[in-house]
Amino acid sequence: MKLKFWQKTYILVLALFLAGLFAGILSLTVFSYNKSLSEKEETSRAECSYIASSFERDWSSLTEYGRGADITLLMASYGDHYKKQNVFLCFRNEDESVYSSFTDDAPAPGDGKLIYRNTDAGKEIVISVSICGGKYNMVYAKNIEEVIVSFRRLTVLYVSVAAGVSVIVALLLLIILKKLSLPLEKLKRTTELISEGEKGVRADERGHDEFSALAVSFNEMLDKIDGQMAYISKQADEKQMLVDNLAHEIRTPLTTIKGYASYSAASPLDEEERIDALQNIISEAERLSKISEKILDGAYLEHHELTLKAVDLSALLEDTKKRLSYVAEQKQVDIETDLSESTVAGDHELLSILFYNLIENAIKACAEGGKVTLSCRETCAAVEDDGKGMTKEQLSHITEPFYRTDKSRSRAEGGAGLGLTLCRQIVEAHHGKMRFESEPGKGTKISLSFCTPKQD
Amino acid sequence: MANILIAEDDVLINNLIKKNLCLVGHECTQVYDGEQTIKSASAFAYDLLILDVMLPEVSGFEVMAYVKNTPVIFVTAKGKLEDRLKGLRLGADDYIVKPFDIPELIERVNAVLRRTKKDMRFFDFDDVHIDFDSRKVYKSGEDVRLTPKEYDLFETLLRNRNIALSRDKLITLVWSMDYDGDDRTVDIHIRRLRKKLGLEKRLITVYKMGYRLEI
Repeated sequence: MKLKFWQKTYILVLALFLAGLFAGILSLTVFSYNKSLSEKEETSRAECSYIASSFERDWSSLTEYGRGADITLLMASYGDHYKKQNVFLCFRNEDESVYSSFTDDAPAPGDGKLIYRNTDAGKEIVISVSICGGKYNMVYAKNIEEVIVSFRRLTVLYVSVAAGVSVIVALLLLIILKKLSLPLEKLKRTTELISEGEKGVRADERGHDEFSALAVSFNEMLDKIDGQMAYISKQADEKQMLVDNLAHEIRTPLTTIKGYASYSAASPLDEEERIDALQNIISEAERLSKISEKILDGAYLEHHELTLKAVDLSALLEDTKKRLSYVAEQKQVDIETDLSESTVAGDHELLSILFYNLIENAIKACAEGGKVTLSCRETCAAVEDDGKGMTKEQLSHITEPFYRTDKSRSRAEGGAGLGLTLCRQIVEAHHGKMRFESEPGKGTKISLSFCTPKQD
Repeated sequence: MANILIAEDDVLINNLIKKNLCLVGHECTQVYDGEQTIKSASAFAYDLLILDVMLPEVSGFEVMAYVKNTPVIFVTAKGKLEDRLKGLRLGADDYIVKPFDIPELIERVNAVLRRTKKDMRFFDFDDVHIDFDSRKVYKSGEDVRLTPKEYDLFETLLRNRNIALSRDKLITLVWSMDYDGDDRTVDIHIRRLRKKLGLEKRLITVYKMGYRLEI
């Protein structure tokens, strides 16, 4: 049989209470019974010796007057007198009964002894004493049935009162325990709701006992789980979006490659058209390989903890400027530098990729004859251009994967739409900050700040 | 011949669609964003609009509201079912997912044009005259007797003229997908067409590809 916690408690507490109650009543009645018996004994002994001594006194005063008094008459008068008081007397000479007010045979306990005996009229205390200097023996019997009866009445009363109390206590206990276990029941219902998939359910935290403490920590646990779930599903959403975008980004060059390949295979083309088609295929294939490269870089960043070492930013910027000088010359963009001594905690290769991307973007944003300014100071660096700039709307999207402010132009320049996403990942991996300021037509400024390297 | 408006922001893909549709005899106009599309579509009653969903400025789905009277085929990289359904619910006549096959594109374009009655009813080249409604072919004014399959094959080649079609593609288009016959069936029918219509110079075999009707 499966019992609930409160039911177990109820049964145990009730059993203990009943056992205690009835053991108490039992010992109380037994004690009072014994006490009233011994009191009865005392009074019986006192009465017995009083009867004996007054009998002896009466007998001696009768014999003093010298009249031929008959002791049996005295015995009879005593016997009659005390019979009214429910006391029976029997006088014996030797073992010969001289007088008896007993309705049956009087017992003969030893001299001075006290015994109990049961008769038809009930329980009797029997005492025997010797009187008149041992000439006679008096047996005294006192009916104590009223003690037994009153004891029985008392017992019945006690038991019925106890039974009543028990019923009341049992009911009260039931109500109290049910009420006490109510929070537990509620908590159980809450967990059931949660396991059925209900969202946003919380346990009732009212009260100040262990149950409310349990509810509080239970709710804390739920909050934590909810937070984790939200975080995980957000991550999954982001991943899904990345995959969707990726599929889109891969499909577009694939369409071009497939289309131009089948076009040149299936249609009669002149030499110029053929070369044009092949160049389109080559440039789109290059775009695909760029996308895969950036995705791999991003995946690497997501799964590797960097070991940050001291990197000289001014040297790195100078180096990156050199690597991009050809691109800048092609577009007739001037790269100016304002480099102070600057050392940050970083990974040299990744920072080099970061600045390469940022500066390349800045050059692309510039019109011919534009200007890109690189600066660094302490742990901060900035890349500034006087190019076409961006609107606020565009700014809010630029680090999203595959976002392009100008799709067709970025395409023409071979961008994958992943550059700034990778930059953001690199900056995040360095625990740094990247801030964009831009105004359409005026240019864009990207400010970066990094951590100082640890002193070894 | 149909006038087709191509709205696709990727220049290379736009050019690709244009080149192929021009090869089969359509007139094409190219636009590269949503606003231009709406402008062009309201300025001229095109027979068909080929519309990319992810256009800059105004998306292809939004453009749909402005081009009520023009048949539309969506072309997009968004291949998810919900996107396809959305396009069709907005009133598009068909939906092509990138990367697509050129013959598939042409076939769908022709199918939509046929449905919307913007398709050609006659076609003439050299001394050959084709009547699409009665499915008859005349050479120098004389009725040329073609079997139904020969006619289907000829019409398919004509509608995809200047584009080489593989034997597999021809089987799919003419004989339906689950045809069990081998490539030789195609070769035999091609030989008969050449003979009956005198197409030895026009209907050429393309190395490793299949056949092409050059007009």
